[in-house]
Amino acid sequence: MADPLQQFEIHRLVPIQIAGLDLSFTNSSLWMLIAVGCAYWLLIAGTRQHALVPGRLQSVVELTYEFVAGLVRDNAGKEGLRYFPLVFTLFLFILMGNMLGMLPLPFGFTFTSHIIVTFTLALGVFVGVTILGFVLHGTHFLTFFVPHGAPKAMLPLLVPIEILSYCVRPISLSVRLFCNMMAGHTMMKVFAGFIVTLFSYWMVPAIAPLAVTVALTGFEFAVAFLQAYIFTVLTCIYLHDAIHMH
Amino acid sequence: MTRLAARLARSALAALPLALLATGPLSAAEGGGGLPQLDTRTYPSQIFWLIVSFALLYWLLKTKAIPRIADILETRQDRIGADLDRAARLRADAEAALKKHDAILAEAQAKAQKRLREAQERVAAELARHQAELDADIAKRLRDAEARIGAAKSAALAEVATVAAEVVQAAARRLAGLEVGLDEARAAVERAMGAGAR
Repeated sequence: MADPLQQFEIHRLVPIQIAGLDLSFTNSSLWMLIAVGCAYWLLIAGTRQHALVPGRLQSVVELTYEFVAGLVRDNAGKEGLRYFPLVFTLFLFILMGNMLGMLPLPFGFTFTSHIIVTFTLALGVFVGVTILGFVLHGTHFLTFFVPHGAPKAMLPLLVPIEILSYCVRPISLSVRLFCNMMAGHTMMKVFAGFIVTLFSYWMVPAIAPLAVTVALTGFEFAVAFLQAYIFTVLTCIYLHDAIHMH
Repeated sequence: MTRLAARLARSALAALPLALLATGPLSAAEGGGGLPQLDTRTYPSQIFWLIVSFALLYWLLKTKAIPRIADILETRQDRIGADLDRAARLRADAEAALKKHDAILAEAQAKAQKRLREAQERVAAELARHQAELDADIAKRLRDAEARIGAAKSAALAEVATVAAEVVQAAARRLAGLEVGLDEARAAVERAMGAGAR
């Protein structure tokens, strides 16, 4: 039976060494570029007609655009729309990464199933939002860590908790996405492996594992979308905190 | 630098399909066997390519895709707004026309009613005049008739008196053998009639 973790292995496609760092072009890098290409192609192909009454592809593009714009507007307010391109990029990049990872290809790869990728994204959001908070509010942003209406005596306890919960954000954000993608894909591989094992060892038509695999596949598509959505919503909420401070 | 680029291009073309089979996994190459995600040796490459592709996508969206979509949505919004404006203008026009129509109708109705009233008044006046004429005519005729009747009555009464006087004359001659003059008989009759009438 194939190792269910094999799908997460990273292969060098083009070895590149720069300044002692291994920056090889790998299968992960390849799928990142494919995700970029697919996202860009979708948006450009969808808007080629420039139709007043949108066709199918244009509807998909417009719905995606308005969906993310609505997320930003609802969660970060009108001021948050300045950062819409970044949030839109984030959403499309993660969504494409998750969805392309569902393709049943022998060299398929889900780059969002790697903690370092999701953590880099989350750290980028965290650092960017924190810098934005300080740029917009100056040192006044520090009062974000002082809960409103809390008794003065409790502050020595509450402020460290607030700071800690703020600093844990990139970890929770990245681990949530990474774990969901990795666990789901591993489960799929494990149950798919059962089909082969059952059949090759005991010649039993493996109906149950097949049914589970089918169900998991549908479930994984939902998770793929949902996790991209959650990552985007949380980014918007963090943006809101930085812009409005509660 | 050019040698690196050439090498990149050649490798990308030639080795892509083979690479998966030929090159071992980065992690397993040194007998790892742990989670591929925890192999820190792959981190620089992943971070580097993540930044490259994310920046590329951001640039593509920001400069190309988002303006296009925004333009489409804006065009539609403008179009819908213009259509709504036009509809509102047409509606206002229609309402103005309706108001004008109502005014004309009301004016015509007022005019018609005025004419009707005038005609009614004229007819009534005519009728009253005719009535008055007729009444005067009837009254005159009535007076004439009464006068005639009066005359006939007095003539008849005079006749009766004369006849009575002659009867008195004849009766006096027959009964008393008296010859009474006509005038005397008449005076006596009139006296008697006057007493009878009294």
